[in-house]
Amino acid sequence: MANSVGSGPAQWIDDLSPIGPADWSEDRAAHLLERAGFGGTPEEVERLARMTPAAAVASLVAYQSIDNRHLRPFEHSGVHDRGLEPFPASRPAATDLAKATGQALGVRVKPDGNRRLQAVTNRFFYWLRASRLETNRVAYWWAERMLTTRRPLEEKMALFWHGHFATSEEKVRDYRKMLRQLELFQKHATGSFRDLLIGVARDPAMLAFLDAGVNVKGAPNENFAREIMELFTMGVGQYTEADIREAARAFTGWNFADLAFVVNREQHDDGEKTVLGRPGRFDGVGVIDIILAQPVTAEFVARKIYRFLVREELSPALGTRLGAVLRDHRYAVAPLLRTVFLSRDFYSPASYATRIKSPVELAVSTYKKLGLTEIPGVPDFNEATSALGQQLFRPPTVAGWAQGRSWITPGLLIERGNFARSVLFPDIAFIPPDRYPPDETIRLVSERIAQGLDVTSATRPGPGKAGEGEMAMSNVLADRDEDFNTRYASYRGWQMAIEKVKPIPRRTAPIDLSAMVRANRLRTTTDVVDYFARRFLRLPLEADARARLAGFLDTELGTSQVSEAETYMEDSLRMLLHLVMSAPEYQLG
Amino acid sequence: MDRRHGECSRRQLLKAGLGTGLALGMPPVFARAATALAAEATANDRILVVLELSGGNDGLNTLVPYADDAYYRHRPTIGLRPPRVRKIDDRFGFSPGMAGFERLYKDGHLAVVHGCGYDNPSFSHFSSMAYWHTAAPNHGEEYGWVGRLADGLRPGGAPNFVVNIDTTQSLAVRSRDHTPVVFDDPERFSRKGFFQELPLFQHVTEAAEDPNPSRKYLLDVARSARDASALVREAWARYRSPVDYGIVPVDLPKVAALIAAGFPTRLYYAAYRHNVFDTHVHQGDLHGRLLTYVSDAVSGFLRDIERLGRADQVVMMIFSEFGRRVPENTSLGTDHGTANLVFVAGRPVRGGHYGRPPSLTQLVAGDNLVHTTDFRRVYASVIERWLGYTRTEALLRGRFEPLAMFG
Repeated sequence: MANSVGSGPAQWIDDLSPIGPADWSEDRAAHLLERAGFGGTPEEVERLARMTPAAAVASLVAYQSIDNRHLRPFEHSGVHDRGLEPFPASRPAATDLAKATGQALGVRVKPDGNRRLQAVTNRFFYWLRASRLETNRVAYWWAERMLTTRRPLEEKMALFWHGHFATSEEKVRDYRKMLRQLELFQKHATGSFRDLLIGVARDPAMLAFLDAGVNVKGAPNENFAREIMELFTMGVGQYTEADIREAARAFTGWNFADLAFVVNREQHDDGEKTVLGRPGRFDGVGVIDIILAQPVTAEFVARKIYRFLVREELSPALGTRLGAVLRDHRYAVAPLLRTVFLSRDFYSPASYATRIKSPVELAVSTYKKLGLTEIPGVPDFNEATSALGQQLFRPPTVAGWAQGRSWITPGLLIERGNFARSVLFPDIAFIPPDRYPPDETIRLVSERIAQGLDVTSATRPGPGKAGEGEMAMSNVLADRDEDFNTRYASYRGWQMAIEKVKPIPRRTAPIDLSAMVRANRLRTTTDVVDYFARRFLRLPLEADARARLAGFLDTELGTSQVSEAETYMEDSLRMLLHLVMSAPEYQLG
Repeated sequence: MDRRHGECSRRQLLKAGLGTGLALGMPPVFARAATALAAEATANDRILVVLELSGGNDGLNTLVPYADDAYYRHRPTIGLRPPRVRKIDDRFGFSPGMAGFERLYKDGHLAVVHGCGYDNPSFSHFSSMAYWHTAAPNHGEEYGWVGRLADGLRPGGAPNFVVNIDTTQSLAVRSRDHTPVVFDDPERFSRKGFFQELPLFQHVTEAAEDPNPSRKYLLDVARSARDASALVREAWARYRSPVDYGIVPVDLPKVAALIAAGFPTRLYYAAYRHNVFDTHVHQGDLHGRLLTYVSDAVSGFLRDIERLGRADQVVMMIFSEFGRRVPENTSLGTDHGTANLVFVAGRPVRGGHYGRPPSLTQLVAGDNLVHTTDFRRVYASVIERWLGYTRTEALLRGRFEPLAMFG
């Protein structure tokens, strides 16, 4: 049976007892590295395979002593200044503020003349664009850490927490807050869930994302209290609507000022609340401790971690046992991870090579297995993963990314193969998205402004597709406020942002498959197919697929002997690898 | 075929696929799917398009009960004043940007179903959306109602019967027998590769009994991708429309393109994604804009379908997972609520009000509306009265009286 290679017997399913040294193999070490990190090169797999399983797991889980100083801190472009704070909730809020007070965003309203609020509006859009572009740089920085860290589990768990405590820059609109939040996830990646949860509840990105600013005494906003119970700790059905209303009161007054957590005493409701049956004058931490005391919480969190690292389906009994491990260790995550990674269940047929990689994992592990030490600039990492359904710092909703099979649709499966191709055969017409706005209308406005057109004419929607009366309302209404023109502001905002944000280096991947083939002394085309399969796939190739691929390479090279084709085989090897990476099996880790 | 011509009737496509497709050098997959299409040409060809508004659309500020003082008492600041609304009768008026919906209503092609909801409402986006997706409130259910409907209409499955335009597959279309065609950008729905690689891409392992369920799933999807991608791309490349769908067309031009190309799809599912209707804070401007986009897109789509000569064949249903709480909150927004409007639009629809508008004075569960119409009655209406599928009771796990909105 093809998929049983590498995996243990079916009796191992749901068995949390540890495997022994006799159960260890290179395949299983590779499996561990896929799940506790982002996969590995053959050398990294071999290193792990030479240890005992307990030592291998410990080397990944107990990473605190591993020297990671080769990783550089994030290099800010310097796009932010104090005048931008506090950043208004919306463009109308910014222009209303400017109308009411004569200034906003550190810009004063023009005393007289046309479009008096234009500069305010421009600056509003400047920061939206600058924060977005800088966030994309933070994503690059993070992806590079995933690729080059010596503590892969730290980044893997940070990625898990990012999906668990899903916060999107789209609403937060401040890359600095997103970066701070990521650092929180990295710091507590495998530490105490309580510390992490409290950190998140006080995290400016989360507070901004879930509207903490409007949760005030006498008028609690339930958004945060609801998400903390439903998504972060207990799951739906484990609490009542009354619990949410009461918990929301405990978090009233919790807010942020720029990058700092603040409690506005006069907005905090210090009265008696009853949460999950417990009465008291709780604040947010008090509520968190009540939630953590619920048995269901440990189980909910442990299950979710397991589903992220191991497999989608797990029995209720296994969930209960995993919850007990987390609770028995007072919510320390590392012991749970050690138990899972050492367990027979983790190497059982239900777990081995059954997990569909997320787009970020797919991209990073592809680079890792290719032996790269830098995230290529072409294709753009964020564009590529976003086309596959996952963009760092932009989870689709507060529930994060749906995992598992949700990653795969007919469209996305094709797109995954196209991603591999864009790495192996980079697009020579590539347009860097951090230099050229993706929005066509912006380029149109830019051209018209350069031709000397007035702002109204320059920003009119493109040559009308529809006749009079058939034009859509949204196009009619787009440009009606005389105080400012939003299309122009959007154009100008892009321009100012691009000027300030450092460019992402656009190197393509330095790939040399010929050298890889030579270094491994592969002699025939079948050797090459086998080597690629072993290096890049977690499941062995079926006989007919193996024969087809070898036949393809024979035809391409005009020989089955590598030695004869050494000087010209690179393109054909890349095609072969593209075929391997387009296989449905390549999605499994 | 004339590439500039936007319309391409089913018959033309059949002729092209069966008669001249291969001669023109079309990919063999195109011809193969066209064969499947031919077999179906005689069957019922009515189409349902479902549009989801994610995040919980504020129904009260969509179709404003402007004659009800209670509405303004509950919403002193965000309530839309009578002069601003687009009045459709002496009680209700649409949000200012919804000229498209106003026209649809006045033309008699828009059914407004009031007070849609279910018992023990959930205030969680995910739970409530899952209940709407599965038509099974407060229950677990593996397959979506659109997926089950596909299984009922075409047992055993058929290629390209269900299309879901999105980056991820909706629970609503999850089906036992069908693999829905899920794509986002038609132009990207194609495998890039060298000429020499193409024969290898055509080969997808048949894996009826794979011990690794994830691998089996991937192979099923790979087959669906191979069979659909060329057709979708072709349809999109041929599609040209003079109709203005507005700033955010919510994927409806893609649906129109497939309908224009004579796809055998009976069930389309699209969404205004990413929880955009979750308007907790400062909702006025934003919500009005979102509604304008939806109204533009829906009315544009129906005009386009009219232009294609297919208006008698297409009905659209528009829903959201819940409405908002009746009173505004202190942040000029609204919180998660209960009962909501569902719209059913299209020429076959008998326009007007259906269901009883919930009272704005007798509220429950923290200032919420009491639902007056089980939302599954709307599902039953389109399933039974539009698509003509009669075993609705089994499909919806209960008897839900259809509304008389057709014929």
